[in-house]
Amino acid sequence: MLDGLLGFFSSLMGFMTPMSLAFALGSCLAGFVIGALPGLTATMGVALMTTLTITLPANQALLILICTYVGAIYGGSRSAILLNIPGTPASAASCLDGHALAKRGEAGRAMGIATSGSVLGTWIGMLALAFFTPVLGEMALKFGAYEFFWLATFGVVISGNLTGNDPLKGWMAGFFGLFIATIGQDALYAHNRFTFGFHDLSGGISLVPALVGAFGFAEVLTVMKEAPTAVKINTFDTVIPRIKDVLQYWRTVIRSGLIGTGIGIIPGVGEDVAAWSSYAAAKRASKEKEKFGKGSIEGLMAAETGDNACVPGAVIPVLTLAVPGSAPAAVLLAAMLIHGVNPGPLIMIENPKFVYDVVAMMFIASVGILLYGLTLTRPLIWVLQFPKTLIMPVIFVLCVVGSYAIAQRMFDVYVMLAFGVIGFALRQMNFPMAPLVLGIVLGDLLEKSLRRGLVLSDGDLLPFFTRPIAFVMFVLVASVVLLNVPIVHRAASTAWSGAMRAFGRAG
Amino acid sequence: MDDEKPSPFADLLTGAAWLAVSVAIAIGAWNMDRLERLASTWHTAPGLVPGMLGVALIFMSGILITRALRGGALQQIELPRIVFADHWRLIVSLSIGLFYAIFLVARGLPFWVASAIYISVMVFVFQFPERREAGQLVRGAVIAVIYGIIMSLAIHYLFQDLFLVRLP
Repeated sequence: MLDGLLGFFSSLMGFMTPMSLAFALGSCLAGFVIGALPGLTATMGVALMTTLTITLPANQALLILICTYVGAIYGGSRSAILLNIPGTPASAASCLDGHALAKRGEAGRAMGIATSGSVLGTWIGMLALAFFTPVLGEMALKFGAYEFFWLATFGVVISGNLTGNDPLKGWMAGFFGLFIATIGQDALYAHNRFTFGFHDLSGGISLVPALVGAFGFAEVLTVMKEAPTAVKINTFDTVIPRIKDVLQYWRTVIRSGLIGTGIGIIPGVGEDVAAWSSYAAAKRASKEKEKFGKGSIEGLMAAETGDNACVPGAVIPVLTLAVPGSAPAAVLLAAMLIHGVNPGPLIMIENPKFVYDVVAMMFIASVGILLYGLTLTRPLIWVLQFPKTLIMPVIFVLCVVGSYAIAQRMFDVYVMLAFGVIGFALRQMNFPMAPLVLGIVLGDLLEKSLRRGLVLSDGDLLPFFTRPIAFVMFVLVASVVLLNVPIVHRAASTAWSGAMRAFGRAG
Repeated sequence: MDDEKPSPFADLLTGAAWLAVSVAIAIGAWNMDRLERLASTWHTAPGLVPGMLGVALIFMSGILITRALRGGALQQIELPRIVFADHWRLIVSLSIGLFYAIFLVARGLPFWVASAIYISVMVFVFQFPERREAGQLVRGAVIAVIYGIIMSLAIHYLFQDLFLVRLP
């Protein structure tokens, strides 16, 4: 415990240089603006920042990325409250009560609640990051090829199940992502697969250009295809958070923080699910259920605490398992690898200081959003009114730069363009992007683990089902899939209600 | 989370496209060199995982098609019509974007010049209806050019000079 605190303070002191603080403040601001502008997502912001920071030392680059990530998730609440348009998908739940408060002339109070909820959510997630990373890291040491195979499968399946509103399409996107990861030379024999004679494809599809395309170029096309609408913002009261609002709903804050962190840890699920789950749990437990959706302080607090707590939560599996908890965390993982940080089960043995560095980065980011939350309300309104026709061309130029800068080759720009068009088409047909990204990230782990496991067992499939952890993970994967089959779902619901009734009678 | 769902017929077409891609993946994986001369076995063959994924995608595409058919896809056949007037914003932004990336940037035009041209054209084209209505076409063109030059130089400075990132 004391070692952890000392590690945290030592890391925090390490960032107390003018350059690091300037980077942190600048990137929090960039994230805040990116998040607030509907159409620009946290994933896109973090991906573009990855390319901007490619020549910086690892710690400073990751500080910038984490501040951008936290800032963007928080910034999304501003347009949700003021415009009833979520700046990022994570803020969709905040529209319900945030905008209702704004319509009552309490937009300032709503922004104050969003600020306090986001900061407290980040802190709860940050504490979980500090405490659970070593524990999960130790657990991960027990993972072998069989467990990692199921972990990768579970990530894609659960992400497909929970993101979007059609699990089948989510799984298809996820499996397509896994397939994309197999393009290029295979790991055992360096045999070219699906390269069609293109030398550039031998190295495979790089994650960052694919992400910049799927989240950047596809967003540009999505925004540009709609005619712009006039932005009208009402007057508002003070944005300074009220202590009473926090104290009155402290249980909601803690519950939402824990839910958000827990959902963050689940591979590939992300902040929007965290916000909705926290909101739903708060509504179930609330004494003022009737106020939800009509300007409930508790509802807004729950959504904002949940989505921001998810950010540190999503970083926990990145550090311990090299598996991202959300789409922006997938970019963070890629950035860590680019900068020579090797996250995974050995991180607490090889590089424990880095874990505390990440905790300190989260803390700095939370201070940044608090600062901007209190001071930047009026300039942000100006930014929100800035025409999209002026912003989107610049974003596309940044997409081109971003995809080129990683390896300095035009091939990556073409990858970005292809993924932008594919991503746009898939979105139009209601296919979520998060499982696709997770599939690309986890494809390598899944394939290596499957083939390594089969080599170890000489082609015997049994160890994939008989080792304890592998068996539990297989049951989880099978349950997630089977519960989406209507007949199984009905049978499970009936059995569950029967068990609950029997439990109630026994009680 | 509350996205609008596509029609069953749209899902049917999507499912058919997915099926074609999945079958191609499975066939490509099946025909892939199994490297037996290198003592590779079935479980180390390079086509194993792509093949499994292809089969899984065929299965899921089949479910998507079946679901669309059961949802009445064949009763609501409506072939998509691309009307330029309805989709001009998408077609124009896609075309100009591709032209900028594939021809202007890739063919060696200085990056800041290519970007300035792209941004200016995009701004001018997409502000054209309002500018024409207000009788400010020349003003709009000048503003678009100035904005394009300023933004492209700012990006150039930020990446190349401040953060030392190489540009195309």
